[in-house]
Order: sequence, then C-alpha cells, then structure tokens
Amino acid sequence: MDNHIVEVINVTREVAWLPWAVQYFFLIGLSVGGLLLSLPGYAFAREDWRALGRIALLVALTCGLAAPVALLSDLHQPGRFWHFYVVLRPTSWMWWGSVFIPFYVTGLLVYGWAGFREELQAHGQVDSRLAALYRLASLGGGRNDALIRAAGLFALAGALLVALYTGAEVAVVKARPLWHTPFLPIQFLMTALAGAAGLVLVLNRFAAGNDRAVEVRANRLLAGFLGGVMLAGALWLALGLFGLDSTHAEALGSVAGSEAWRVTAVWAVAATALPFAIAVAKPARTGLLTGLIALHGAWMFRWTVFIGGQTVPKTGAGFYDYALPAGPEGLLGIVGTAGLWLFLLIALTAILPSPRRPAPAPTRAAQAPAGPVAAAE
Amino acid sequence: MDRSRRNFCLGAGAATIGAATVAAMPAAAAPGAVPLRRDGDPAHRWAMVVDVGKCVGCQACTVACIMENDVPENSFRTIVSTYEVTEQGKAGSYMLPRLCNHCEEPPCIPVCPTGATFQRRDGIVVVDNTVCVGCAYCVQACPYDARFINHETQTADKCTFCVHRVEAGLLPACVETCVGGARIFGDLNDPDSAVSTLVRDENPKVLKPEQGTRPRVFYLGLDPRFQGKVDGTPTLWRPSGETHAKKEHA
Repeated sequence: MDNHIVEVINVTREVAWLPWAVQYFFLIGLSVGGLLLSLPGYAFAREDWRALGRIALLVALTCGLAAPVALLSDLHQPGRFWHFYVVLRPTSWMWWGSVFIPFYVTGLLVYGWAGFREELQAHGQVDSRLAALYRLASLGGGRNDALIRAAGLFALAGALLVALYTGAEVAVVKARPLWHTPFLPIQFLMTALAGAAGLVLVLNRFAAGNDRAVEVRANRLLAGFLGGVMLAGALWLALGLFGLDSTHAEALGSVAGSEAWRVTAVWAVAATALPFAIAVAKPARTGLLTGLIALHGAWMFRWTVFIGGQTVPKTGAGFYDYALPAGPEGLLGIVGTAGLWLFLLIALTAILPSPRRPAPAPTRAAQAPAGPVAAAE
Repeated sequence: MDRSRRNFCLGAGAATIGAATVAAMPAAAAPGAVPLRRDGDPAHRWAMVVDVGKCVGCQACTVACIMENDVPENSFRTIVSTYEVTEQGKAGSYMLPRLCNHCEEPPCIPVCPTGATFQRRDGIVVVDNTVCVGCAYCVQACPYDARFINHETQTADKCTFCVHRVEAGLLPACVETCVGGARIFGDLNDPDSAVSTLVRDENPKVLKPEQGTRPRVFYLGLDPRFQGKVDGTPTLWRPSGETHAKKEHA
C-alpha cells in the first residue's frame, strides 16, 4: 500500500560555513601541497628538483598568504578573531587551527625568504634603484642550504599540523555523516597535493619559464596524487557500498538517493580519471590542461564537501536548496579571494621574476635576451 | 490539571528548597566529565517533555519564542515540524516540536574555539554573544539543526529554555503559550516534578539517541520514523529570500 511522508512545515537552515570556507580549505591545501613539492629542490637541495621547487614555493607562498584572509572572512564576527588567542580550548580543532596557522605561515615566510635569498642577493648586485632594497631584503647574504633546510623542516612541521587540523576539524563532526569519516583528512591531503601539482603546471606555463622538464615531472607527480585520490575514494565507496562500516554506509545513504549527488560523483570521477590518464599517457605538452582540471577537481571536492554537505538536512526530509548569492557571502567571496591570490602572485613574481636559465632548450634560447639580468622594476 | 504551567512556580520553589539537601550534581561533579559548566544553579537540571499526542501544530510556541527572544526574521529557535503521513491510503498529520535538546553531552560545546557557548550547571546550554566569533562550528556540530547564525548579532543563536524567564521563576515562553499542554518543563533534580515523573514512568524517547548526546528534551509518543533524519518528501515552503529585512515591532 501507499505509505509515505510529506514534510509540510519545517525550517530550512542556511549554510553557515560560506564559500569563504571553501576558498580557505582550497588555498591552505594548495599551500601545504606546494610546500611539500618545494622541499626536495630547496630544503634538500636537489638541483634537478630546483626549477619545480621554485614554482611550488610560489604556490605555497601566494596561497598560504591568501588563505588566512579567506578564513577570517568566514567568521561572522571577523573583528573578534583575537578571542581565539585569549583562551585555552584544546577540545576544539578550530582553536588548534588558530595556533597552527600562524606557526605555519611564519615558517613558510622564513622558508620562502631563505629559499629566495639567493635571488634577492642577485637582484641587489645589478645597477638598479631598487638594488639597495634587495640587498636589505637579503640581509647581506645569499644561498644558505643549512638555513633553507632548517626553515623548510620548520615549515614542514607547520604544514603537517595544518593538514592534520583541517582534516580532523571536519571529520570530527559526527552530526554530518558525510564529513564524519577518517578518510576525509586523507582525501583533503591527496586532493590538495593534486591541486598543488596542478597549480605548478599552470604557473609553469604562465608565470615561470614553461620548462618542459618541470612539466613532465609535475605531470608524473600529478598522476601519482590522482592515483591516491582515486584509491581513497574507492575505499570510501567500498566501505559504504558493502556496508562494511556503518559511518560510511550512513554517509553514502544520506546522498545516494539524490540525482544531483550522483551527477556530482560521476563528474568528480571524470575530473580525476581524465587528467590521470592524460598525465600518464602524455606528460609533455599537456600540463596546462591536466593542471587546470586538477585544480578544478581540488576546488570542487571542497565545494561538494562544504556547501554540498550543508545542504543535507540533519533532521528534515530531502535536501536544502542552495543558490550562490552574488554578494560577499557568495560569489564575491570567491572572486575576491581569487583576486587577492592573483595580486599576491603578480606582486611576488614582479619582485622575483623567474631567473633565466643558463642553457635552455634551443627553441627557448632565441627568446632569452643576452646581457645582464634585468632588474625587477 | 495543567502541570506544565500552573504547578511550575510551586514546583520550582520546592525544588530550590530541596536542593539544599542534594549532595552532589552527577554531571557537574563527576571528575573530568563536563569541565566546561559554569553559572546557573546546580540544584536544578532543567528539562522538557514534549507530549507529541497533545500537539495540535498551531505554532503558537514558534511565535511566542520569536516574540520573547527577538528572534530575527526567517530564523527559529523552535518550530513545530509538521508532516503529512499517508498509511495504507489514509492521510493524517504528525507534529513534532523541535528545539535545542540541552543535551547532557552537548557536541556543540567542545568544538567552540572561544568558550562562547557553554553549559550552565543547571544544564541549560547558552551562547555568550559578546564572546562568540560567529565561526559556526557549533552550528555544524549540533545533530538537531537547533543552532543558526543570527544575522542581527552575527553570532550563534539557539533556544535557551528562556533562561531569563526560568531564573525569574517563569516558564519558557513556548511552554507558557502551548494551548494543548504538549510541552512540560521542569526540574529533573526534583523527583516529584512533572518531568521527573514522566521520564521515570512513561519511558519517553529522545531524538537521535545513537549520537550519544543524551538529550534533555524527551518525547512521549515519538514515532521512530521521526527520530532521526526524516525519510520523506521535503517541504515546498521556504523562508523568503529577503533574509535581512528590517523588523518592525508593533
């Protein structure tokens, strides 16, 4: 017989973690991923990783500086951020985050400075009105591998803590089955690494020397990270599908009935499998495509987790509708954060333009003007 | 006859006197159990019993709460979720008043990064909106969707059991106004209170018991199909998009 329930009156809870939060988790993930990718070339002074490491360091710095702004904006009372720092709240992962973020960003800035010090010194030696400023910024020194390594390991500790807290903060929310899974921190980290490799590929094309070796290496790394993303996703799905774990089964059950969620799932698989296949089959001359898709995948994962996750009612029937508002609580937040990141990238690459490689490929040699290194201005 | 209202003041007074003889408060005194409780009188443990069978779905409680607590437009500290249930061709209504459950193990409190939300020693979970940063972590952590961001204060907001009224010896506004007497409020530490008797004798249920939150809002006649996330067709009605319209008070 016909048995069914129709909800006649109930409250719709609006999303409380706004697109700002998506931007924060996206950017801080890219920063952590960028930092990890920069370590072989800088902290461990592997010369063959140096070019890729330089772009990764740009990723880590630009994203790492923009991310806390997005996080602050997600607070509904951003002016009260100092309230985090006058209490001791070890039961809250968010409170730990307020400790870890400054720790990480400080480490990142010191590491970035140590890594770029060699370039600052070089710019200080050319005939330019800004040379004195560069010399000041380099503090009268050049490359110091011991310092870079120490700062890199310090920043690495911060990055691991940030990766831990960002994952745990969301995974501990038992009230949302979709979030409450031990896979989530791993999925955040793997998609962050894939996104960071993606951004390295994109910046390699637009903001660095379009180095073929960097492209091939980054594409191979990307393939590895995307493999990890697919493995974690498959395990999560298997645990839910076969009812092996009640948490995952509940999480899957909360969205499996929705056509929109099924489309999202297919899209996510395509956005992972496609760049994986391309990066494996043809790692050269595909970096822009695989990079953009990987970036899109990393962002979309966070959008789906946060905005999608909040459209699953905890008590009500069905799903809440979500329409992206045009103002600061929606589109403007996304565009504004992206704009801030772009500004930081332009500023950083203006101060530290890509060093010209001594022996580039023949096709590139024609474009590289001979003579002394131009000053940044 | 109306235990929920008329006997309350008398009961509260008796509970206060009786409290002098109560040796220890279980939750507050247990070592390491809930270190975050402060304020309020530990002699009481306020709770509510909702008799679903008596609710007529008039939403008087919803309106009374809004008027009493100046709840912004399109936000609700309490609401009567109303469902049309069809069983074997016959349709009927099911009403479920929802509010903060003032849990014994409130998941909203440990996540708060500033200590703005806390549980009083009388069990009432409150938010100090002069401290709250509006991070909404508590909104996420509540399994009952009982919290929201108040866009007038830009801080977390929720039912307080009308703590200002309770401290003055009055009933919460929703209880006071309930025409069917479906909401019964009282002190679990008073063994003779209506809520204590009902909890002891009627075996009431709570929402989402599997969450381990130990709610202190109990339900009589709770259909298991409504105990967790309801499996049904969602409502077509939504609050209007004009969320920040200026309120006008008569």
